[in-house]
Amino acid sequence: MSDVIRKDPRKNWILRNRLHPLHEQVVAEMNGPAAVVRGPSGLIRKNPHAVGFIGPNGIKRIDRLGGSGSAAASAKREQQEEQLPIIAIEQPQSYVVVVVDAANGELSAHDRDVLGQARLLADGRAENTAVVALVFGALKAALGEAANPDHAFGLAGADRVMLFDDECYAGFAPEQQLEAMLAVDRQLSPVNWLFPDTHLSGNDRALRLAARLGERPAMHAWQIKDGKVTSRGGSEMTDITRDLAAATAPRILALASECALPVDEARYEARLLPLPSVPNAMVRIKDAGAVAVDPNQIAMGEAEFILSAGNGIHDWDQFHATAAALGATEGASRVAVDNGFMPRFRQVGATGTWVTARVYIAVGISGAVQHLQGIGSCEKVIAINTDAGCDMVKRADLSVIGDSQEILAALKARAEQGAVAVSEPQQGKADGESNHNVA
Amino acid sequence: MSRDSIKSPAATLASNLNSSTGQTGKPLTITTLVSVGQHPKSGRARVADQDAKALELALSLSAGKGTAAVGKGEAGAGKSQINLIHAGTATAEQQLVLRGYLGMGVGQMRVLKQSDGADVIPVLVDAVRKSGSDVVLTGSRAEAGEGSGMTPYLVAQSLGWPMVPAAVEITAVGSGEFEILQALPRGQRRLLKVRAPFVASIDAAAAEARQTAWAAGQRGALEHMTLSSNDDAVLAEAAVEPARKRPKRIARAKKAKTAADRFKAATAKSASKGGAVLVKESAEEKAEAIYQMLLSQGVLKAR
Amino acid sequence: MLESVIPWLLAGFIAVLVAGMLRRISLWRAGQPQQVNLVAGLMAMPRRYLVDLHHVVDRDKVMSNTHVATAGGFVASMLLIILVHGFGLDSVWLARALLLTTVVMFIGALFVFRRRLNPPSRLSKGPWMRLPKSLLTFAATFFVVSLPAAGVLPDGFGSGVLAFILLAGIVAGLGEMLFGMGWAGPMKHAFAGALHLAFHRRPERFGGGRSTGLKLLDLDTSNGKTLGVAKPTDFKWNQLLGFDACVQCGRCEAMCPAFAAGQPLNPKKLIQDMVVGLAGGTDAKYAGSPYPGKDVGNAKGSPIEVITEGLVSQETLWSCTTCRACVEECPMMIEHVDAIVDMRRFLTLEQGSTPGKGSETLQNLIATDNPNGNDPQSRSWWAADQNIPLMSEKKEADVLFWVSDGAFDMRSQRILRSFVKILKAANVDFAYLGDEERDSGDVARRLGDDATFQSLAKRNIATLKQYKFKRIVTTDPHAFHCLKNEYPDLGGNYEVLHHTRLINELVAGGKIKLDALTTAGTVTYHDPCYLGRYNGEYDAPRDVLKAMGIELAEMERSGFRSRCCGGGGAAPITDIPGERRIADMRMDDIRETGADLVAVGCQQCTAMLEGVVEPRPQVQDIAEMVAAQLVEIEQPASKREVA
Ligand SMILES: Cc1cc2nc3c(=O)[nH]c(=O)nc-3n(C[C@H](O)[C@H](O)[C@H](O)COP(=O)(O)OP(=O)(O)OC[C@H]3O[C@@H](n4cnc5c(N)ncnc54)[C@H](O)[C@@H]3O)c2cc1C
Ligand code: SF4
Ligand code: SF4
Repeated sequence: MSDVIRKDPRKNWILRNRLHPLHEQVVAEMNGPAAVVRGPSGLIRKNPHAVGFIGPNGIKRIDRLGGSGSAAASAKREQQEEQLPIIAIEQPQSYVVVVVDAANGELSAHDRDVLGQARLLADGRAENTAVVALVFGALKAALGEAANPDHAFGLAGADRVMLFDDECYAGFAPEQQLEAMLAVDRQLSPVNWLFPDTHLSGNDRALRLAARLGERPAMHAWQIKDGKVTSRGGSEMTDITRDLAAATAPRILALASECALPVDEARYEARLLPLPSVPNAMVRIKDAGAVAVDPNQIAMGEAEFILSAGNGIHDWDQFHATAAALGATEGASRVAVDNGFMPRFRQVGATGTWVTARVYIAVGISGAVQHLQGIGSCEKVIAINTDAGCDMVKRADLSVIGDSQEILAALKARAEQGAVAVSEPQQGKADGESNHNVA
Repeated sequence: MSRDSIKSPAATLASNLNSSTGQTGKPLTITTLVSVGQHPKSGRARVADQDAKALELALSLSAGKGTAAVGKGEAGAGKSQINLIHAGTATAEQQLVLRGYLGMGVGQMRVLKQSDGADVIPVLVDAVRKSGSDVVLTGSRAEAGEGSGMTPYLVAQSLGWPMVPAAVEITAVGSGEFEILQALPRGQRRLLKVRAPFVASIDAAAAEARQTAWAAGQRGALEHMTLSSNDDAVLAEAAVEPARKRPKRIARAKKAKTAADRFKAATAKSASKGGAVLVKESAEEKAEAIYQMLLSQGVLKAR
Repeated sequence: MLESVIPWLLAGFIAVLVAGMLRRISLWRAGQPQQVNLVAGLMAMPRRYLVDLHHVVDRDKVMSNTHVATAGGFVASMLLIILVHGFGLDSVWLARALLLTTVVMFIGALFVFRRRLNPPSRLSKGPWMRLPKSLLTFAATFFVVSLPAAGVLPDGFGSGVLAFILLAGIVAGLGEMLFGMGWAGPMKHAFAGALHLAFHRRPERFGGGRSTGLKLLDLDTSNGKTLGVAKPTDFKWNQLLGFDACVQCGRCEAMCPAFAAGQPLNPKKLIQDMVVGLAGGTDAKYAGSPYPGKDVGNAKGSPIEVITEGLVSQETLWSCTTCRACVEECPMMIEHVDAIVDMRRFLTLEQGSTPGKGSETLQNLIATDNPNGNDPQSRSWWAADQNIPLMSEKKEADVLFWVSDGAFDMRSQRILRSFVKILKAANVDFAYLGDEERDSGDVARRLGDDATFQSLAKRNIATLKQYKFKRIVTTDPHAFHCLKNEYPDLGGNYEVLHHTRLINELVAGGKIKLDALTTAGTVTYHDPCYLGRYNGEYDAPRDVLKAMGIELAEMERSGFRSRCCGGGGAAPITDIPGERRIADMRMDDIRETGADLVAVGCQQCTAMLEGVVEPRPQVQDIAEMVAAQLVEIEQPASKREVA
């Protein structure tokens, strides 16, 4: 296991290596996500004391780029990479507007896919067409007034950006956001409105806009090809294809992820557009804030990370402590339930809950069919078991063979360490070369 | 922002209704719009999952679960009325399915008969308008047909009512005010407050619908009304085919612009997940491997 | 003095008895009408008692003889008492006969008494503890009272203090025997039991017959009737009568797997609760084992109150695996399973309160024709490489292979493939329905959803009607039972075979040859309930095993006394919690034989037994064992290549 190195050097190495898949995460850890919290009103609050970390020479460093690093045209990058060309659309005659989710102020992969699609639509038009990214809420990495081709938005293909970061757009504010979209619609008359088809954000916005404008949207669209848009019908059983050139062509499109490839061959200006004046909406839906949900209160069927216990668990206190340390929802095999160690509603399987977790860790569970039935739609299964030949190991994406008690102890320690690493400033001590973190 | 001063006709209507619902104890009228669903495997008509959950929410709301406005002593005073409305072709086979909703414990359903391929929104809006509803509940996305999820938005738009998506729990807190728990991804929840009348669509994460009792469904009444249909011109023009398999995204090799890129491309792991098995490593190394997978899956919430 | 009082006492008690009987009859008649042949039933009753009932009672020889002596002694004594003491027939011989019968009864009663000294837990106590004393009193008193009439003692012997003692004895004896019979004392069983035998709802069971298919439910909802049984009066009148016949012997309780697993079900208590319901009142006087985990004394009901609202909890009804062990064991031939399913029908069809995964399973059955919601078009995927002729292409075959829902389950598919291998080796002309097959309706029916059962069954029958075949064979005893015993009510009449029977035929007919299985170690066989008790197929599987040279190490509970694996009656779907798993107890039975391998003939049993945590004996279907021992017929066995 060459990639398991003692934690400090490894972390530093990742910090240095921006190509490392974990790079962003580690930087975020370094900066301390606790530095940015959302207040009860949904307002972003910065804790100036938690921001930054102590650099090698004892000087506090703050990464104002939110750790994304992508906006910084660092010296190092310039050395290593050829510059992507910058494409500027001057005086656009028409617009394709993408209302990105940008949850937490950063573009998601889905956002980038939709921007990629927007690019294709805009570039395929005869007239000068600009892609406008419309954002509700503050951005993590600020955009200046000038062109920003190296900002995440520029790299993702946005010619222009409209940033509605007023407090009234924060949280769940669909009515006010709709007023903003209507104002943009009046101002730009976009040829297309694109949305990532995401639960409660893109999806809701697209439907609201379409309903208000009296237009027929193309929802759940997964492909735009040869001037036609194809949407998935109900129950994912049909494909509904509509001609984008027809009179009844949908102007409002909610696109599935991977609808198109994200932009990667050029940079765009990502220039801020002045905002139109937006009337105050009559707010009838009041957002009273998120309700704190303890991972152990989440319905099993909805939990995204489950640590599940079977007959191979011998130290139950340790199991519960590990689940708590990992922030995982607890699950169980029927035997663990039958033996009275776990409550019945925690049972996973044919006669229990069918779970849909992204990660399911089966500790000391042999993998009987009835149990496997319940985890059929889990994305990643991790097995911890003494028996390398058991069916759970066959099903698992990662198996570690060994005694549950020993491995849970190590895992719990590792999880706690992870948390420690975030708050301990000296973690960055040997961080001599991470120059991109310089403020 | 003082939005309170702006009052649309809808809002006025709302506050009128509110004063009559909560405080004076006028029972609520809850309308549930239901469709004929489709089993995802067999494609056969069935009770639509989310619509049944919407009806379940209506039933528990009408039972006054947590209703502050209705004192426990006033028996019957708080018993709300449930309107069940369906618009569609209502073929014999579909009627069997519609009886599934009746079997959940509602005596009758208004069936607005429409010709095949009709746009059902106008008749639904009309029916809701005439029903004197305080709350309209629907599923989030139809299981059959286009399934765009537009229905609740269009109904809300036509009525001028607020539309609350992804509800999982609705509680009347009195004075026509309601608290709605909204489903966020990963089991998280958000609390919203809204005054009646409103439209809410129900999220798949809402409580499971109660079982339908076959005999009750048989005895329930389907009140048919044949209404003139508006053809759905848009859908008529669209090509509808069985769903194709979505092609897997082929990771287009990024044009190698640097030596590092080339190296990365060369050493990139193939997409096939081998199901790695760690046997001989130390417990710490095993834990580390698990931890890394958790990190890469993004399930570890940074604290 | 006694002589003059006795006739009046007799007349009085008989009048009270008749009044009690009439009242009891009126309680039964509050039930739903059901056609029975009154005369033929009454005529057949003695034979049913002496032969059929005795056959069941005879499993416990001592008890059987005890009952013959006591009951026979009593019936004869009572007739003679009426003649001798009632009508005062002055015949020494009659009186001597009476002496004899009372002696016989007394001896019988002594045995009853002996058993009650240290009764097993399955027996109810309470008034039943008094019964042997009452019997002894009755027999002794009338023996003494009859001595003068028999000329053994002088007339007028009974006078003074003795007369009072005898009088007290007569009152006590007649009170128990006659008053008690009419007015719900322990002796009620004699009266109700006799009529129950006469008007039994399943007369086919007498004379060695078998009647195990559930009765068809009339699904008409327009006549204002509830579907299924909500209140005691929703039972057929002769079902109510049957409940009253219960002697609280607890043989059912002793056999019930759910009771043993600590689930809240006790068939004896259930029947007694039905009695409480039909007569009205509470279970406070019940003196037997409770439903595990539930205290006695809180249940109350009446003929017109909903049973599940105060008398019997819903979990009790859903704990039953419909294994019929109780029915098989009941000396009074009471039909517990019918009653339980009748009440389940109400819960599912009228109340929509099927517990556990029941509702989901039913929805799947409705929308996909299989219980797990698999794509019905994928039903034949398991056979993709099997080259089995499709009925839709072949139209005609000797044998139609009914695959059942094992088609969707990887473990069961191993059994199916093995069986196909056998059929092919024997050159059987067979075909299957492929995707045209549907769930047989077994699970829906046991869950109380007769609407879905009937819908599935009718469509299956319509499919089968299109093709010509001589016999249906299936590896699934549940489908076997449905097709064989429950489809005829809907017009589907077929000759249906379990695969073990066909295999046995093939072996016997020399169509296949089997190598001796020597490497399996100790082997035992588990009788699936739906094969054994439901269909009497105990021999074919054993014969096949014998053909492989296997000497079975039988379990104590095997054959008609086999213990359920816990997989029937949709019990795994409703999954009512208990203290133990039924499958674990069955595995303990298996372990007791020292078996390394348990042979079964059912995919459900396989799943249940393999669900027991390892280490445990191997579980294999007989088809799998046979397929592994097949020997090519043309060549001598020794030439078989072992790879
Ligand atoms: C009808 C039916 C329905 C069922 N429904 C369900 C259901 O819904 N859910 C369910 O879970 N089961 C269900 N079962 C039970 C199922 O068949 C299995 O019995 C059960 O899942 C086994 O649980 P287990 O894996 O925890 O126990 P075991 O099978 O005993 O497995 C324990 C595992 O732990 C490993 N182990 C032992 N000690 C250690 C140690 N120190 N460290 C690490 N590993 C260790 C062993 O190697 C083994 O693999 C059902 C069964 C039936 C028949
Ligand atoms: S059928 Fe079996 S489980 Fe049901 S009551 Fe009788 S013995 Fe018990
Ligand atoms: S039901 Fe039958 S077996 Fe059970 S106690 Fe009564 S008489 Fe005995």
